[in-house]
Amino acid sequence: MTTTAVPRPRVTSLHVFCVVLVLAILARPLVTDALSAPVLRTAATVFVAVCVQALPFLVLGVLLSGAIAAFVSPAALRRALPARPAAAVPVAGVAGLVLPGCECASVPVARRLIGQGVPDAAALAFLLAAPAVNPIVLVATAVAFPGEPRMVAARFVGSLATACVTGWLWQRVGRAEWIAARARRAAPTATGRNRWAVLAETARHDLVAAGGFLVLGALAAATLAVLVPPRWMAALAGQLLLAIAVMAVLAVALALCSEADAFVAASLSMLPLLPRLVFLVVGPAVDVKLIALQAGTFGRAFALRFAPVTFAVAVLCAVGAGVLVLGGVR
Amino acid sequence: MSRDTQHVLLALLGGALLRIAADGTYLRYVRPDHRWLLITAGVAMVVLAVVGIVADRRGDGHRDHGEHDHGGAERRAPWLLLAPVLVLALVAPPALGADAVARSPGAVVRDADVFAPLPPGDAPALPVAEFVQRAAWDSTGSLDGREVSLTGFVVRHGAATELARMSIACCAADARPHRVRLAGDLPALPADTWIRVRGVLQGGSATTATGYVPAMTVTGVEVVAAPPDPYEY
Repeated sequence: MTTTAVPRPRVTSLHVFCVVLVLAILARPLVTDALSAPVLRTAATVFVAVCVQALPFLVLGVLLSGAIAAFVSPAALRRALPARPAAAVPVAGVAGLVLPGCECASVPVARRLIGQGVPDAAALAFLLAAPAVNPIVLVATAVAFPGEPRMVAARFVGSLATACVTGWLWQRVGRAEWIAARARRAAPTATGRNRWAVLAETARHDLVAAGGFLVLGALAAATLAVLVPPRWMAALAGQLLLAIAVMAVLAVALALCSEADAFVAASLSMLPLLPRLVFLVVGPAVDVKLIALQAGTFGRAFALRFAPVTFAVAVLCAVGAGVLVLGGVR
Repeated sequence: MSRDTQHVLLALLGGALLRIAADGTYLRYVRPDHRWLLITAGVAMVVLAVVGIVADRRGDGHRDHGEHDHGGAERRAPWLLLAPVLVLALVAPPALGADAVARSPGAVVRDADVFAPLPPGDAPALPVAEFVQRAAWDSTGSLDGREVSLTGFVVRHGAATELARMSIACCAADARPHRVRLAGDLPALPADTWIRVRGVLQGGSATTATGYVPAMTVTGVEVVAAPPDPYEY
């Protein structure tokens, strides 16, 4: 939209939008033809499924983010957290217990916490813990592994440890400038009736910004879902280290919702419990969908450093939790 | 991307979620109980879009906010929101079928050791997942000699014909197949045809050697319409 007084022809994004729509409708027969190939049909279904499954949780996340911006002042957040960042990290991690969603919801909330002045390390610990340790995910894990109650405890310990260790690491070696400046911008100060406007504007902005990256992550997950060879699993049965490595990579590639990944892990019964625990701890902390969302929210410089570090920490914490809680490989 | 375009996109995406929740298409992608999540999210998106448009018209929004504050990928990324809208509106991909079964490593999880007796009557309908469970692990022999009926789609496995059904825990990305090998006099059925079969389990066919895929001696096959909820849960 042009706001100049004298109207003049100018290509706006709304024009581009209309052209894209018309082209898409004209190209519909081509698209339908392309989808007659079974592999593309499978990929398209997985793509839409990941989007449709994740969008409600992203909406929940941006509404919470908006509510924090509108109703929770930076001062109140500072009072709620211990003053020392090293102590704030585990508190923020345990606070993840109360966000009943999967990973897409926690990204906008963590961004808002940073915007409201919460220490980076604590907000990142929350980001990693929330999708993995909330009650819905733990109950789903218990249901998926009916004969193995210790799997739930191992997952809880492994994920909380991942969040705290990564948070402390970030506090030690992380630099403030790695997080894009736009993630730090505080929402406009809200007072009185203005609060609802701040909530709506913050949620709208976060949703548009993060939604595109969620779609990008869903595209990556759908592509990888049809590219990962199905015979990988059968070849892994007797090789523990290789199994751990492959399950960790798969957790990143498949980008499953943290409420559902336990059922997939349970179905891979040819593998011992330890590699499957690695799958459950790595998945909610780092996967292609999350990397895309984090790159969009916190900037590429952040995602390039945070994703590999989280991946390594999550694998180590999962193995540690497995040895401690499960009592070995099993 | 201008704020107006963002609002149109948000409203379209919310509308797409509401549409698939209303006409049942969502069952191809997620569990039935995600319906209220989709409706809530769709309404929230439309409301956010409308509130944004109204605020801009009244001039109390941040009109040029979206145009200038981001660079590069961050400014272009919202265009990707158009992808799910277009895919849903133009093609609405079908539920996972035979191709996805072939791609799955699919081992069978032992869910239970104790099974209730089969429902009474002639050829009771069983979920495919339950049939596979009973075939592999039921020590009471509830399937022995009993005719049951199963509904699923056709998967061609070399020369063999299988009936399969996917089960999902959350969305189609985590789908796991349950397969039954069909033996007996079968018509030529192309892959992904939905069928209802009647038949009797071949005892001892679901073993480690067969990957816990039981075999069934088929006594009747009919082609049926794809059910509205294509997955088991």
